[in-house]
Amino acid sequence: MASFKPTKIQVYPKLGEKVTQDTLYWKNYKAPVQIKEFGAVTNIDFSPVAPHNYAVTAFTRIHIYGPFSQEPVKSFTRFKDTAYCGRFRSDGQLLVAGCEDSVVRLFDVSGKVALRMFKGHTKAVRVTDFTSDRYHILTGSDDYTCRLWDIPNSTELTSYQEHTDYIRCGITSKLNRDLFITGSYDHTLKLFDARVNKSVMTMDHGQPVESLLLYPSEGLLVSAGGRYVKVWDLLKGGQPLVSLKNHHKTVTCLCLSSNGQRLLSASLDRHVKVYNTTNYKVVHNFDYAASILSLGLAPDDESIVVGMTNGILSIKHRKSSEETKEISGQQKRRPAYRVFVKGKNYVPKQDDYLVSKPVKQHLAKYDKQLKRFNVSKALDTALETWTRFRKPEITVAVIKELDRRGTLKNALAGRDERGLSQLLNFLVGNLVDPRFAPVLVPATEMILDIYQSVIGQSPVVDVQLQRLQDLLEREIGYQQDLLEVLGMLDTMFTSSLPRKEVPCSGISRPNGLAQGDASAPGPQPQAT
Amino acid sequence: MAADGGSSSLGLPCVFSPKSRQYLALCAQDGRLRIWNTDSKTLHQEYVPSAHLSATCTCIAWGPCRTVKEGPQRKKRKSEAGQPEERADLLAMGTAAGSVLIYSTAKGALHCTLDGGHSGGVNSVQWHPEDSLLYSGSADTHIIEWDLQTGKTRCKWKADRAAVTSLCVSPDGKLLLSAGHIIKMWDLETKEIYRKFTGHSTAVRTLRFATTRPPDSNGLYFLSGAEHDRLLSVWQVREDGNDKNSVVSFTLTDEPQHIDLSTSTSKEEAVRLAVVCKDGQLHLFEHFLNGPCKKPLSPSCSVQMAGTQDSPVPVPLLAAALGTDTGTVLLAYGNHLQPVMERVEINTAERHICLTRDVQTTLSLSMETAVSKVKTPIVNAKSRVLVPGLPGHQAPIKGTSQGSEKRKKGTDTKEMSIEERLGEIDLSTVSSVKGAPKGTPSLQTDNFAVLLVQGLESSDAGILNKVFQTRKDAVIKKTVSRLPLPAVLPLVEEITKRLQGHPFTAVLMVRWLKAVLMHHTSYLSSLPDLVTQLGVLYHMIESRVRMFHKLTKLHGKLYLLMTQVATSDSSNTVTDVDHTAKLVYEEESSDEDEASGDEGLPDDNSDNWEEEEVMEETMEQDMEGQADEEEEDQDSRTESKANGEEDMEHENESEEE
Repeated sequence: MASFKPTKIQVYPKLGEKVTQDTLYWKNYKAPVQIKEFGAVTNIDFSPVAPHNYAVTAFTRIHIYGPFSQEPVKSFTRFKDTAYCGRFRSDGQLLVAGCEDSVVRLFDVSGKVALRMFKGHTKAVRVTDFTSDRYHILTGSDDYTCRLWDIPNSTELTSYQEHTDYIRCGITSKLNRDLFITGSYDHTLKLFDARVNKSVMTMDHGQPVESLLLYPSEGLLVSAGGRYVKVWDLLKGGQPLVSLKNHHKTVTCLCLSSNGQRLLSASLDRHVKVYNTTNYKVVHNFDYAASILSLGLAPDDESIVVGMTNGILSIKHRKSSEETKEISGQQKRRPAYRVFVKGKNYVPKQDDYLVSKPVKQHLAKYDKQLKRFNVSKALDTALETWTRFRKPEITVAVIKELDRRGTLKNALAGRDERGLSQLLNFLVGNLVDPRFAPVLVPATEMILDIYQSVIGQSPVVDVQLQRLQDLLEREIGYQQDLLEVLGMLDTMFTSSLPRKEVPCSGISRPNGLAQGDASAPGPQPQAT
Repeated sequence: MAADGGSSSLGLPCVFSPKSRQYLALCAQDGRLRIWNTDSKTLHQEYVPSAHLSATCTCIAWGPCRTVKEGPQRKKRKSEAGQPEERADLLAMGTAAGSVLIYSTAKGALHCTLDGGHSGGVNSVQWHPEDSLLYSGSADTHIIEWDLQTGKTRCKWKADRAAVTSLCVSPDGKLLLSAGHIIKMWDLETKEIYRKFTGHSTAVRTLRFATTRPPDSNGLYFLSGAEHDRLLSVWQVREDGNDKNSVVSFTLTDEPQHIDLSTSTSKEEAVRLAVVCKDGQLHLFEHFLNGPCKKPLSPSCSVQMAGTQDSPVPVPLLAAALGTDTGTVLLAYGNHLQPVMERVEINTAERHICLTRDVQTTLSLSMETAVSKVKTPIVNAKSRVLVPGLPGHQAPIKGTSQGSEKRKKGTDTKEMSIEERLGEIDLSTVSSVKGAPKGTPSLQTDNFAVLLVQGLESSDAGILNKVFQTRKDAVIKKTVSRLPLPAVLPLVEEITKRLQGHPFTAVLMVRWLKAVLMHHTSYLSSLPDLVTQLGVLYHMIESRVRMFHKLTKLHGKLYLLMTQVATSDSSNTVTDVDHTAKLVYEEESSDEDEASGDEGLPDDNSDNWEEEEVMEETMEQDMEGQADEEEEDQDSRTESKANGEEDMEHENESEEE
C-alpha cells in the first residue's frame, strides 16, 4: 500500500526586512524606562567597575544611577552653571566634570564636595578625562586649549594651544598614559603626546568634530562630526579608512558594543544606528522621540542609555534569558528530550535480529482529512483564521492539492454565507500576491462559476465580491503601470549598452531577460 | 552640541495693578504694552514704545497707589487733580536696551524715560512704597536708585558678580532684596548688605515679601523662585542671623511665572499664595509662616484650564490675582495678545480643578467692543512699519497703505480693532500667496526633496512614508527632478521594496518610479552596472505582471456578474411584474424543477438551469447598455474585444453543462 504523501507546502522567500542575528540581538530589550532630567542630557558614562553605575550629566547636575534603580543613587549638584562630561576613573572611585564656569571639579564618588578644583581655563570646559595611569586629568575647553593636570597636587602640567576653535571632544589612550586625542570645531583631530610639547598627528575630519572613540586595540580611531562618521587608522599615520554617512543630521555620540564588533552612533535626527565593524554596514536602527545628545552602553550590552535634548533619559534593559525561557516553558510542557532519544543511538550488533517498526507518520489535520477524502473539511481546516492570516501558503498549498486531484470544485461548493464570505475574504487578501496568484485565480473563477446563481442574494457576500472587484481593478491598473515601467526599463537597458553588437535585452521578453542576466557579469567588474 | 538648558524663554511680563486689581498690564510678543480693564474685560489702553522691537520690554511694575493730593509729582499731575480716589496710575517698564520707561495710565502716554544708567538690559524694576523712588536691576550687575522727581540716578551700586535678575523692596521701604544666584538683602539707608541667602543654583526670577512684620521679631519672611526650579523657597530673616537655609518650600509643576500673595501681618494670619507656572497651571497655597518646615509643601489646590474642543487643548493661564475674600481668584488666560480675564470662585476643598472655557468664542465676543483709547504711532509715507511674525507677509507695502488709512480715521477717534487688523494681516498673506503661485509649490517640493534625501540617508521610515504619501503628480515630478544624483539609486531601491505590497499603496510608488525613470534617464543609462542595479526591480515587475491576462479575464467575469446584480437590484421594483410573467412561461417548459428543492446540494445543474434562464433574459436587456461600458473598459485596458467574447463563450459553456 502506497503511503499517503503529505501536501507539500511551498516555501517562499519572505518579503520585507530580513531578520538577521543582529536584529534579534538588538531587539531583545525591554520597553524603555524614561526619566526626566532637569535639562538636556549631555553625557553618559558607565563606571568601569561592577555594578557598573552610570553618571548622567544634565544641566547643572550629575546624577549617578545604579544598574536597575530609577532613582539616582547619588547626585552632584555643586555646580554653579551647566556641568559637562562627567567621567569615571578606570577604578570607578573618582569622577571628573567640567563646567560652564571654566572650573574643572574632581569628586570622590562616595563624597559630595569636590576634592579638587582645577582653575586655569578661561571658558567653559566641555571635555574631561583621566589618563590611563590615573594620576592625570585631560581637559579641553572652549578657550581653544587642552590641558593636562596633576591630581595629587592639583597643578597644571602642560597646556596645548593648537586648535583654532572650541574643543568639544577628547579621549585618552587606555594603553599609553601619555597619549590623548582631541577633536575640535576647527574640523581637526589632533593626537598629542605628553612627552612632546606639540601634537604628533593631525587629521582633518571636514566637519566640526562632536565625538571620538578609540577601538580597544587603539589602532583605529572613530570620529563623528557633521553627518559623517569616519574611521582612521592611527598606525598608518592617520589614514582615513571609512567614511559613513547614514544620518541626516549631526552625529553627536559614538559607542562601541561590548565585544567590539558593533559600532553605535547617535544623532540629532533621533536615530541610533548600529554598524558592523567588519564591513561598516548598518545592521540595526533604533528610533527615539527626540534629538539624541548622548549614548551609553553598559558592559555586555546589558542596557542602552540614551540622553535627549528634551531632558529625557531613556534606559533599555536587556531581557534576561531566564525570563524568555520561563515564558516558553509555561506555554507548553513537553516530554523531555531524553524520552525521544532513548534507545535511538543503539547500534545493532552482528547477531541481533532486527524487528523494524513502521515509523508512524505524523500528519497535519488537513492532511488527515485529505487522506480520508474529506475535501470540504480539509479546505475548512486550511481556512481557519490562524492559518488564513499567518500562514496563507498552507491554505494555498491545500487549494493547489485539491486542484491537482480535481476535487477543488467539490470542496468549494456547498458553502453557506459565512463560509463563502470567509473564502472571499481570504481571496481578497491574497489574490494579487504574485506568489499565490497562479493558484488562486483559477480557484476564484471556479467560485464564481459555482456561486453565480446566488450572487445578489446575500449582502455580505456581495460586499466581499465588490471588494474583490475593486481589488482587481486596482491591480490591473497597477500592473498596466508596471508594464509601462517595464517598457521604459527595456529601452533603458538597450540604450545603456550600445557597445555590444547583440542587443542584449530584446523585445521578446524571456529571451531578453536571459540575455540581460548573462550580460550582468560583464559590466560588473567595471563598476567595482 | 549647543544644548544647554538655556535661559531663552523668559515669560512675558504680565502684572495686575495693586489693590483694586482693576487693570492688567501686559507686554505681548509684538512689543506693545496693553492695559486691560479686568472689570469690563476690554482693552483699556495700548501703548507702542518707539523702540518696541529692538528694545523689548522685559519687566513691568505698577507704581504704588496714591491719592491725588499727595505724591511727589504735583506739578505734572495738575490735569488729573479731579480724581479723588486712590489709584495706581504709573507703570515702570524696563527694556532690554537698559532704559526704564514710565508710563502714565492717567495721561495715556509716556510720562518720562529714565536712561543712561544701565549698560545691560533691565531685568527688574521695583517702586519704593512711599518715596518717589524706583529701583532697577540690570544684567550689567548694578542696581540703580532713580529719583523720579528729577529723573536722574540717585545712587548706583554693584550688587552682584553676575546679572541682577530680581529685586524686591520690603513693605516698610527699609530693605531691598536683590538676586542673581545669591539673594542679598540691602539696607536702603546705607546701601550696605544686611544679609545674604544662598541656595539657588540658577538665576532667581521671583522675589516677594510674604509678611510685613519687622525683621527684629523673627517674623519677616520672603519668597524666592528660580529659573528651571520647581520649588518656591521661603526664607526667614532671623534676628540672630542664623538663616542659612530656606525654611519652607512649595512644590510646583514647573518654573513659576506669575505670583500673587496676600501678605500676613500677624502670626495668626496665613499667607495665601497663587502661583501660575510656566506650564499654564495655577497652584494655590495657604500656609502659616512660623518657623521651618522640613517637607516641601504641595499646593492646596491646582487649577488647570482646557478648551471645549473635541480633543481638549490646555489653555495656559497667564496670571492670577487673589481676591479679597478667600474663595475668588481673578484669572487671566489665553494668549498674550488677547487675554481673557475672569473672576472665578474656587472650591479649595478639591485638590485639583479643571476649568473648561471656550476661548475662541470669548475671543470674538470681547473683540466686538470697540477700543477707545488706542495710541498708534504716526506713520509717514516714507517710514516703514514692520510687523513681527507671519512669514510671507509683505510689511512695507501694507504698512504704508495702512498708515494712510489710519491718518484719515484719526479724525473720528475710532481706530481699527485688533480683529480688523488681524484680518488685514491674514488677507495680505493670502494675497501674497496668490500673487506668487509659482513660488510656493516650488518651495514645498524643495522641502520634499530635502526630506526625501534625509529619509533615504538615515532610512527613516517616518519621513519616507510622509513623502511617499503625496498624490500630486506635480509635486512628485518636482521632487524627483530636484533630487541630487547620489540619492537616485537609494530611492529606486526604496521604491523596489515598497512596490511589493498591496496595489492600493503600490500604485503611488509606481508614479514615483516613473518620475525617476523619466527625469534621470540619462544618469541611469550612463551607469555601467545598470542591469545589476535594476535587475531586482525588473524581475519583480515581471513576476507580478505574469498573471495580467488571467486577472483581467477574471475581472471581466466578475464585472459582468456584479453589474447584473446591480441592475437587477435597481430594476427590481420596476420589473417585478415582468419577472413573474417570465416565470410563468418557464413553468410550462420544464417539470424537473420540483426535484431541485435544496440549494446546498451538489447537483446544481437544475439550480443553474433556472438561474441561467433568468440571467439570459436579463442579459439580453442589459447587453445593449452594457456593451458600451464594456468597450470603454476594454479600450482602456490593452485587452481586445476578443477577450470579452471569450468570457461570453465561457459563460455559454457553463450554461450548457
